[in-house]
Amino acid sequence: MSRPSQRNPRVLAPAPAIGLALCLLLGGCLDNAARPLMGLNLQLAHTAVNRDPALSSDWLALIGGREGREQVRLVRLSQGAPVPLPGLNRPDARPVRVAVDQWGERLALIRELEGRSELVLYRRSLQSLQLIPIEPAGVPHRLGFSADGRVLAVEVGRGGLSQVDLLELP
Amino acid sequence: MGPALLGLVLLLHSCSLPWGIRRQPSPPGGLGLGSESRQDPALSGDGRLLASLVLRSGRSTVLLQDRRSGQTMPLPLLRGQQPHSSPSLSWNGRYLALLVWRGGRSQVVINDRATNRLLPLPLRGDREARRLSLAPDGRHLAVELVEGGQSRVEVFNLGEWLEPDPVPGSLLQGPGPGSRP
Repeated sequence: MSRPSQRNPRVLAPAPAIGLALCLLLGGCLDNAARPLMGLNLQLAHTAVNRDPALSSDWLALIGGREGREQVRLVRLSQGAPVPLPGLNRPDARPVRVAVDQWGERLALIRELEGRSELVLYRRSLQSLQLIPIEPAGVPHRLGFSADGRVLAVEVGRGGLSQVDLLELP
Repeated sequence: MGPALLGLVLLLHSCSLPWGIRRQPSPPGGLGLGSESRQDPALSGDGRLLASLVLRSGRSTVLLQDRRSGQTMPLPLLRGQQPHSSPSLSWNGRYLALLVWRGGRSQVVINDRATNRLLPLPLRGDREARRLSLAPDGRHLAVELVEGGQSRVEVFNLGEWLEPDPVPGSLLQGPGPGSRP
């Protein structure tokens, strides 16, 4: 009768590999079923830098490009393809944060232009860009949209304090 | 006369923004217009709830509030996992995705407020999550990851993992891009 420590190592050799495969299988089925969108992620990986994603239904807005030459990009998830944003990006502006509504129609953007930060609203169908004044004056840092693009929450720096401004848009 | 004059000034001020943009008055509970700093706001898809970050005992902590009343909602599962960052809400606010501090590193979690569960999203390798965004219907999560000093965005499908947070069908199936219902 042999003790466990004296078992033939050849018999036990495949055990770790089988165990790992089993763990991966069980992990994939039981632990967490979040699945990466491989095609889209591979496409996004082609860009040098991508940051500050904003999702809304079928739309992903993000800031991407090469360091120092970043742009706002809008991708339709179901098609895995970017859509043009004429009139939004300009070479002398640095995008800071972006948000998008559920139709991919409205984008709210904080950008740095000529040494100051500003908040703008872009309407894609109209290719229009509107400056949203910050009142009382302050520096916009971050923002969030409701899905219908009617409510905008903006973190604004004022006198060393960060505050949240809530704006209702027509 | 004082309060009436103040009210008039506030009314005029709220109407002074161009294109009909209205500034929501601060609710009684306050939304950062007091002495407490508020950062990184996120709205639920329906615009009813607001998540933001406040400092509690020197650590960044997420606060969930009704946007209009200022009423705060408890988030007991997130206690002791500060600093919190990058909150993001689903349509009705059932899901709150955010970054928490666990085991000496930042981790993506989703707080399911309907079932009172905290769901971690493990990330492969040494990648560190920096920002995230949850789609209003809860079907997708976009995560900004830092690896080797480079930032990249990856999108995850949560459709097999989370029940959808009901979105009015007419809104999800709205008209094509560029037009509004």
